[in-house]
Amino acid sequence: MAAEAVSDFLASKWLALGVAVAALALPYLNSDTYVIRIAVDALIFVLLAVGLNIVVGFCGLLDLGYAAFFAIGAYTSGLLATVFGWPMIATVPVVVVAAVVGGLVIGGPTLRLRSDYLAIVTLGFGEIIRITANNLDFTGGPNGLYGIPSFGDVGLRADITLYWVTTVVVCAAVLFSSRLGRGRIGRAWRFVREDEDAAKAMGIHTYKVKFAAYIAGAVFGGIAGVLFAAHQTAISPPSFNFLWSALILMAVVLGGMGSTPGVVVGALAISLLPELLRGAENWRYLIFGLLLIVAMVFRPQGLLPARTGEPGRRRGRRAQGGVS
Amino acid sequence: MTIARRAFMAATAMTLGLGLAACGGDLTQESSGSDSSGTIKLGMLTPLSGSSAAIGPYMRDGAQLAVDEINSKGGVDGRKLSLTVEDEACDPKTAAAGAAKLVSAGVRISVGGYCSSATLPTLSIFDKAHIPMIVPAANSADLLAEQRRNVFLINGTGIQQAQAAAKFIKAEGSKRVALVDDNTSYSTDITKRTRDELGLLGTKVVNHQSVTAGETDYSGAVNTVLDSKADFVYWTGYYQEGGLLIKQLKAAGYQGSIMVADGSVDGKLIKIADRDNAQGVFATMTQTPQTIPGGQAWIAKYKKKFGSDPGPYSTQAYDAVRVAAEAVEVAGSTDGQAVIEALEQIDGFKIFSGPLDFTIQHTLKTGGFAILVVGGDNFALNR
Repeated sequence: MAAEAVSDFLASKWLALGVAVAALALPYLNSDTYVIRIAVDALIFVLLAVGLNIVVGFCGLLDLGYAAFFAIGAYTSGLLATVFGWPMIATVPVVVVAAVVGGLVIGGPTLRLRSDYLAIVTLGFGEIIRITANNLDFTGGPNGLYGIPSFGDVGLRADITLYWVTTVVVCAAVLFSSRLGRGRIGRAWRFVREDEDAAKAMGIHTYKVKFAAYIAGAVFGGIAGVLFAAHQTAISPPSFNFLWSALILMAVVLGGMGSTPGVVVGALAISLLPELLRGAENWRYLIFGLLLIVAMVFRPQGLLPARTGEPGRRRGRRAQGGVS
Repeated sequence: MTIARRAFMAATAMTLGLGLAACGGDLTQESSGSDSSGTIKLGMLTPLSGSSAAIGPYMRDGAQLAVDEINSKGGVDGRKLSLTVEDEACDPKTAAAGAAKLVSAGVRISVGGYCSSATLPTLSIFDKAHIPMIVPAANSADLLAEQRRNVFLINGTGIQQAQAAAKFIKAEGSKRVALVDDNTSYSTDITKRTRDELGLLGTKVVNHQSVTAGETDYSGAVNTVLDSKADFVYWTGYYQEGGLLIKQLKAAGYQGSIMVADGSVDGKLIKIADRDNAQGVFATMTQTPQTIPGGQAWIAKYKKKFGSDPGPYSTQAYDAVRVAAEAVEVAGSTDGQAVIEALEQIDGFKIFSGPLDFTIQHTLKTGGFAILVVGGDNFALNR
């Protein structure tokens, strides 16, 4: 019962609100350039993980090329801002459209496939986007784009402005995705994840429902790309390689698939650990990998796994958290 | 629902309140980055993990050697130097975080930067903090495209390397040249410029291709080189792929000459390609102590201190620190603007690549690239 109470507390609105307020207040506590920098990195990663959680966690579609949408977002806004001189904020609608189009192009034919096949197609898609960006001239080829502006000047330090913009966007996205997951469509997603045939038999248009999850994920990824482009000021194809897709998926699995608070914690861990291990130099990724293995051995269901059942009518049963 | 909404409004109000309370504090502007006493902190970003991790220690040790030498002579204007090294991992995101960490640590001058694509996002971070950058290794033309005043490159740039390469290829009497790059910003910059230079000299480029870095099988690239009947292959990527490419070219029966650019000048290239295959491979490389007269004394000093031979960019890192010290001495402070002006006015300060003088774009006016050749287990000056 104590475990139940802890888990209730972790899933409570008030904790989420506390975390959001703490995130907003961070610059007052510590406005160090480095702290703000890695905090923005971490928040962007949270946005990515929450977006992928819709696809993988809620709907059970294994996407191994999620960084593609991240790249589409970053490149679209980067191009509009550097070549055409648009303000970053004005690029957002175009990015959303571009991400949706990307989602339609790849999701249209492939979402009829079941999980394993889908994983392979999305893996290919991720690589195609990156290699295309690497080989086209207008995307800057391997050099990428540079000189990408931030979100305008409001009298604050540029990195602080970006930090607050990112925090607000990410908080809104986390809230949105968590509510989306609990609504009618969220239940349909979970049904599809647990048993696609049964869902179909119950009258759920599984293709449409999967499409919705995929497109929602794509939009989250695209918006994360805008923030990333503004944050980095220079983007190049190596930033969108398979390792990124894998790390985002890792954040979702580590946190607990389908659990929004879990995924946020997972994303913070995956994003901040390599930074905190900076001193380990070349050992960094070995230690990082070992820590992840240890985490998965002791918490195979994730750090804060999702629970089945409706809020308030819980039966205390835990989801096993498997894909498909 | 109502609770959530009310809570959200409360949070918004709180934030606004806090925002008003702190306006005018340090959230509104960067610290100025100037002081006139105490230790002068130099910062270096260099790959200590990832695919180029081998280079990091060479650069770090080279810079440390210069720092120790200057400190033992009493420092700069009586102030000691200190060196802070952060990992860039040849990854833009890691590099940007590393740059921010250096800024936070109170670094006054940056003496690092190896991978060009990882160095690009650090430019604005250092620029905003008014920190001059003396970049020892990264040399893509893109670093200068934004014309930031704080960026100085003391490595030869792609154009100088391409000129040296084209001149040598012409002198070797090659008729059919194949240019192979790894599709990174550094590498394609050189192949494109070499192609243009060769065009001016009237030498035919029969094959110009990019391979994907990190693969192990380059037989596709090898076959197109063989099909094009090239008699000279110029590889401009890094040593890992370069070694494999040389090995696979030789295994496929390629008879012509092979040359690599400075990113591949590392003993590991010879190991990966196999010693026999690597013999006679040429390289374009900035002047190193191994290849300049009087450099042996420097190597002996380095070896005594670190117990190993200096590697690629040890000298450039060493020089970057010396140039930084010189600029601070001339400027009389670590004020970013004053140091930048001092750097722009430097004329004839002696570094390994010759007397230092910056062009208006902040690149070397004279930066001799030498042609090296593999003999035994080492690269030596081609005679």
